[in-house]
Amino acid sequence: MNDIETYSGFGLGLRKDHYADFLEGPVPVDFVEVISENFMVDGGKPLRVLEQVRSRHDVVLHGVSLSIGSAYGVDEAYLARLRALADRIEPLWVSDHLCWTRTSAHNSHDLLPLPLTTEALNVVCENVERAQEALGRPMLFENPSSYLSFPEDEMREWEFLSEMVRRTGCYLLLDVNNIYVSAHNHDFSMRDYIGGLPLESVRQIHLAGHEPGTIIVDTHDRAVADGVWALYAAVIAKLGPVATMIERDANIPALPELLRELGRARSVGQASLSQANAA
Amino acid sequence: MSGLARRQQEFLAALLDEEAPLPAGWQVRHARGLAIYRNNYRGGLIDTLRDTYPRTEVLAGEAAFARAAAHHCITHPPSSWTLDQVGAGFSATCAELFRDDPDVAELAALEWAMQEAFVARDAVPLDAPAFAAATAHWDEAGWDGLKLVFVASMHLLRTSRDLPRMWHKLGNGESDCEADCLTEPHSVIVWRESERPVFVLRPPWEGEALAAFREGAGFGRVCGALAAKFGEERAVTEAGAMLARWIGDGLVERVDQ
Repeated sequence: MNDIETYSGFGLGLRKDHYADFLEGPVPVDFVEVISENFMVDGGKPLRVLEQVRSRHDVVLHGVSLSIGSAYGVDEAYLARLRALADRIEPLWVSDHLCWTRTSAHNSHDLLPLPLTTEALNVVCENVERAQEALGRPMLFENPSSYLSFPEDEMREWEFLSEMVRRTGCYLLLDVNNIYVSAHNHDFSMRDYIGGLPLESVRQIHLAGHEPGTIIVDTHDRAVADGVWALYAAVIAKLGPVATMIERDANIPALPELLRELGRARSVGQASLSQANAA
Repeated sequence: MSGLARRQQEFLAALLDEEAPLPAGWQVRHARGLAIYRNNYRGGLIDTLRDTYPRTEVLAGEAAFARAAAHHCITHPPSSWTLDQVGAGFSATCAELFRDDPDVAELAALEWAMQEAFVARDAVPLDAPAFAAATAHWDEAGWDGLKLVFVASMHLLRTSRDLPRMWHKLGNGESDCEADCLTEPHSVIVWRESERPVFVLRPPWEGEALAAFREGAGFGRVCGALAAKFGEERAVTEAGAMLARWIGDGLVERVDQ
């Protein structure tokens, strides 16, 4: 299976509110991330919009329904549709989340947490291998934000992810906001998390806003918090340049505001790299 | 069942039903986390129904729609990987919950058909010259056996309401549709023109003819039904006009015999 080369651009998630901006002309981003399922349709406008965006920008397919941690295996019909979309769009890569969304009967349409056990790791690795085989390409998996942990946990999340990468050859989509959220909610060290990951396998970074509280909620409905920017700078210093994007899924502002926030990502990343090189 | 499968079943059961007992070994802090997932689950599904049924929400009213949406999520927990299917069956839910206002369910059925048409398989409809070429050398028996294959985006509904008028008013946020009744039920044909779902009201006999074609009837049988209703002469005129209209509207993908 092919490797995924490092790609160091800055991008945004394509949302309906901004379709017109992207269709009118090139937007100053290096790549666009789209939610795969929104385009895994039989026909009509969504696919035509995506093809027009693809004619101007590199595209990343980011899924929310693969359910890689499902004890019931992966859905072959889903994978066939995803493969067809990937073959049509030729994305930089295809990603999803380390989570589960469904049982044999129901789909929660939410990214639910996995117990961090050897049993779950075995299930995830088997599912990753099947998904990568069906897609004919390695995938990226995103570290989740979570609001509870399980009494039966046997390892830390970064240990789980590291072993998953080692056993399946998959890559990582590092959501820096999710690390911040989960570190607060589960009282672990962000430094330990970053230090424990195989950073050479990270191919993309997500930045997003969250709702502060006793339990921090990953809402994607506001600007990136200062603490997340600081963590992003620390990650870039260790990792080097890597594809970075801003995720906004609610209270979506006009495109220029998101582009300004993406500009901040460029500045923070650049400054961090300069400091790291000078040190 | 594996330990992970059991854990996931327990988790989802607790997510779907707040009365369900907490999974074994969980404490108060788990309940706090679970409440966030439960809120995300319900909120996400209700928002999806709002996006799918914006006019139904205006007609029913925000609070009544929210109750119906919550009821639907409980009685129809989603099973598909796509959020597009969360709204499946919502018109039946509305028919059950808004028994005194059947227009709510009729409108929901229309909004559902419009969504399905929006992402239906692409098709190149047969135009008039292509239809003429395909049927140029047919004799009477050939015409009797004419079968129509419709574009995948086409849906057929029935209504007792002036849905075009209601659609326009509700789209502008006007919820007073009391007076928008029809004197007799009509057929509603939904399909997609290029990228845009559209619909028209047609007399009921046209819907019956279209349904007959969809079930595999030939042109001869459809004309026979029209003749029984209108008499031979008018049936020929109506059938010809109907075929021309369907082809002009882009409803027909191909003809078979």
